[in-house]
Amino acid sequence: MKGMEYFEVECVEPVGAETYAQIADDILSDLNLNQSIGRLHIYIDPETPLFLAVGVIKKMPGLVHIRDFASALGTEDGVVLDIGAETYLSPMLTILWDTYGRDLIIQPDRFTVKIMVPGLDPREIENLMVVDPSEGMFHDIIYALQWIAPEGFKVRRETIGEGHFSYVASENTLDEEETDMLLKEKFACVGVTV
Amino acid sequence: MTVLVPITYKGGVYRHDIIIDLIDDLGGYIVQKHMIAQEVVLQSLVPKDDIELIRKISRPLAGVVYEAPLVGTEIAVVSPSLEIHHLPHTSCDVAEYLRSAGAKTNMIGLARGFGKRIANLNIEERDIINEHDCAVYMLGNFESCIEYKMPALRKGITVPIILTGRPPTEALQRIIDPPVDGSVGGIGRIGHRTKQQEGEIEHLDRLVEEVARVISQKREEVAKDPLSVNPARLMAVLDDAMEITKGSTHPTPIVVQIRALRVKLPYDTYADAIAAIEIENGVKIGDITQIFPSRMRDYILIRIRPFSETKILV
Repeated sequence: MKGMEYFEVECVEPVGAETYAQIADDILSDLNLNQSIGRLHIYIDPETPLFLAVGVIKKMPGLVHIRDFASALGTEDGVVLDIGAETYLSPMLTILWDTYGRDLIIQPDRFTVKIMVPGLDPREIENLMVVDPSEGMFHDIIYALQWIAPEGFKVRRETIGEGHFSYVASENTLDEEETDMLLKEKFACVGVTV
Repeated sequence: MTVLVPITYKGGVYRHDIIIDLIDDLGGYIVQKHMIAQEVVLQSLVPKDDIELIRKISRPLAGVVYEAPLVGTEIAVVSPSLEIHHLPHTSCDVAEYLRSAGAKTNMIGLARGFGKRIANLNIEERDIINEHDCAVYMLGNFESCIEYKMPALRKGITVPIILTGRPPTEALQRIIDPPVDGSVGGIGRIGHRTKQQEGEIEHLDRLVEEVARVISQKREEVAKDPLSVNPARLMAVLDDAMEITKGSTHPTPIVVQIRALRVKLPYDTYADAIAAIEIENGVKIGDITQIFPSRMRDYILIRIRPFSETKILV
């Protein structure tokens, strides 16, 4: 898979392994996650049946501040924000409403937001943090793995650690000791000791 | 008796009524008519000797005539579920490809067809699949899984089954016991649309060939004991008498099968009226068919009885 340091699908059936490598590639690309995961090892045992995936996050996306998509200008009445991209407008408005109250936030058009509080420092406003994309990252990865894994594997165990994750799924009960051993073994493949 | 062969006519809207009249005059039947923007697609059954004549007449109208082996069949495309894992990619590609060969396809997403041990087929699903001419089973990527779950998914199915899965055709034929009517490997669960000719579309072509082979076997079986009336003719009679196509918003209000018709009208209201329609010389539809309530919504399923039972041929 492009952009990944290590990617391996392990399965006794080579045709199945090859197809699942393609499925994982398609789904991670669709969800824009292929640049965020550095190492991924998928283990499939069709006999048990069991689907296991362990991986390492390559880079966490940075925090988004108001300055990243808008510029602030101080006026007599308050601060005027000139919006460059609307992607984060909604979470920004929520934060401004909660901080200053709805009455004092005016939006005359799509690309302008006025904070009607005199004496505000525009630099302070620009430095406000709006979104932390890493919060949704693990959620997105687990969703992607649910999609990659065969349907009907409803018995699941997911773990999230410091920059790494695991996902185990089956239609049968998961034996805790065996699963732990297997996870340890597969985590070693991606260079993680648990 | 004239041999009718399935064809598809594709051409512009302009003067397409000439082709419709021609097919009618030649003793053929139009099974489905699609008007898509400026294009008309006619799925028809026409006398074999007259195909060249239709080609000749359609040439000035920029129309194209080609043989479509699956016209006049209704095929069930059975997917393990309707979840994102199985739809839209493979199942929709297969259904679309079979439609381009003239078939009327119905996609059947099983309630619990996914998984390995937990996969099963309920009675309603079984009955609906059995109302089709054949069923294309779309299974997954692992041999051992297909081998394990197939007996549960084929239980009670009486129509021919064409099995598809990612393992090669030989592997599918080896693991399925008793054998199914057709197997096509290389079509399993994928995460993208089939675009490449090699390794993707070529398998779909092979599937159409395999389905056509199974269907022609079924047609040969029917020909040994001919039906009392040709299903396409029965459709024309029924439509003339009740004007179903005119009054319905369904894309295909009457579906032609090899030995049956599915009529998209409520059974309780219309079954008796249909049975009383005269085909010719006092022979009524009820005399040569069995009319059942379909398991699909409240539709009507008309099974045409063979000549050996009725001693009538119209």
